[in-house]
Amino acid sequence: MQSESARMSSAAEARFRVQGPNSTPRVIKIIALDAAAEVAVRRLANAGWRHATFFTAKSPDDALSDLAGGHRSTEEEIERADLVVLIAGPGGHAYAAPIIGAACSARRVTTTGFVVDGMSASQPDLSKTLAQLRPWSLMVVIAGSDEYLDDMMTALRA
Amino acid sequence: MLRKEQNDLLTATGPDSPMGRMFRAYWIPALLADELPENDCPPVRVKLLSERLVAFRDTQGRYGLVDEFCAHRGVSLWFARNEECGLRCAYHGWKYDVTGQCIDVPSEPEASGFSKKIKLRSYPLIERGGVLWTYMGPAETPPPPPEWEFITVPRTQTFTTKRVQESNWLQAMEGGIDSSHVSWLHRGDLNSDPLFKGAKGNQYNLNDARPVFEVVESPGGLYIGARRNAEDGKYYWRITQWVMPSFTMIAPRGTHSVHGHFWIPIDDENCWAWSFDYHPIRELTEAEIAAMRDGKGIHVRYVPGTYRPLANKDNDYLIDRAAQKAGRTFSGVEGIAMQDASLQESMGPIVDRTKENLVSTDNGIIMARHRLLRAVKAFADKGVVPPGVDPVHQKVRSAAIVLPPDVPFSEGASEALIARPAVAPASV
Repeated sequence: MQSESARMSSAAEARFRVQGPNSTPRVIKIIALDAAAEVAVRRLANAGWRHATFFTAKSPDDALSDLAGGHRSTEEEIERADLVVLIAGPGGHAYAAPIIGAACSARRVTTTGFVVDGMSASQPDLSKTLAQLRPWSLMVVIAGSDEYLDDMMTALRA
Repeated sequence: MLRKEQNDLLTATGPDSPMGRMFRAYWIPALLADELPENDCPPVRVKLLSERLVAFRDTQGRYGLVDEFCAHRGVSLWFARNEECGLRCAYHGWKYDVTGQCIDVPSEPEASGFSKKIKLRSYPLIERGGVLWTYMGPAETPPPPPEWEFITVPRTQTFTTKRVQESNWLQAMEGGIDSSHVSWLHRGDLNSDPLFKGAKGNQYNLNDARPVFEVVESPGGLYIGARRNAEDGKYYWRITQWVMPSFTMIAPRGTHSVHGHFWIPIDDENCWAWSFDYHPIRELTEAEIAAMRDGKGIHVRYVPGTYRPLANKDNDYLIDRAAQKAGRTFSGVEGIAMQDASLQESMGPIVDRTKENLVSTDNGIIMARHRLLRAVKAFADKGVVPPGVDPVHQKVRSAAIVLPPDVPFSEGASEALIARPAVAPASV
């Protein structure tokens, strides 16, 4: 007689897996921290995501803006988020990273940092950006192309 | 998650599939050299990339990997006699050389030249570092031979095993780059396994079960860094290498050997998990090799006479619920390799990735899929040689290293991530 593990890991048994949804949508906030990141975020926003919203935060004050330029409250947006993706270019200032990062940390919101054009950056520029993102990111991604963001968003069901 | 068509694209590796054609751009491990121990030894069945083949070593020591079935009546050449520079079918005596060329059809007059019209599909088979490698792509465009460091060091410094895993190759490979599971599934093994214990780096691991991750593209694939706090504000990094399509190399521990895997499709529902241990600058000790043979580290014990793990799905992986409850193992399954394999096989032969819910720490897996999908498309549409074919991409190492906090690990560990002869690995 087959063991339970042998029977249950067969292709035939896969037909009986529960077909209903096993999650509810997550709310994802994508925030550009500098001009280089804003280019990537604006391109990404045009792809029509259902559960993601897009912002810029390029100044050292507490200013979070939507892509139309409207002011948004950092606290309120973070309060509604399940995941915040901080995007920065190498060598930029990313002034808002500690403000947003601290808000996420206080509310236990997961953060991912993404470095745009990170593969072609000089080490000093990349170090500068990493110094800003690392303290606030559970995961940092350095990719050769910002097209990775599209696949990441799809994978995260944005 | 992946869309269904993406999942199908990456998991199907038969001869007519895009991913199967891309796998055929590489030299891949086919069997252990020990499986063909001497000239004219018995042939061995080999199934790779959904093709059934037979490997043999002829009278002059040449290796052959040919279609398993005789062109005459379809009999398996596993039954053939390996004699006088060829495999002779046991049914009617048709004989084939290592290239698959039929060289004798006893029932036909020799002068007829009939045998010249018969040729089985064959693939080159070369020995490197105790492993027999094959290239199953177009004969006119073979890549350079493999240059992985574990096969270029002296044989006394390297040890390789293989085991059957009853799942698609991708879910097995994704386990190799899923660094966030280590602190859970394998937490009991760092201080007990003879191939891991005693390293200073283990304490960093055990002090911090929630590392922070960084994923960085590399020329051949990815660097996946797991970061933990070290002394004086520095970071302890464990950097895994993934080289496309299916090579993974785990960060070393202390002075122990370095180890890693290849995940090679047998068919779409089974794969070979190749596991290697080597040390770049010293011989492996008898105790280390004995431990590897005993299934320690990333190796397994076998059902005698097979490459099937002793703990397998037919015996519920010998799960020990008492050990699980007592915390001796996290899942109740013993040994790192079978802890991984048991869970990956439980997903089913090909996991349905449309139903998964990935999280931020899964970016290594997301990035690997991203790179594979792009490489498959570029290879299929434009014939672009995929990453990992170039031997430069193969001369890599994993690393365990302590770095200042603002240094990109790909820069701070840049030399450590390259295989350099007679240079010790970066390990803590």
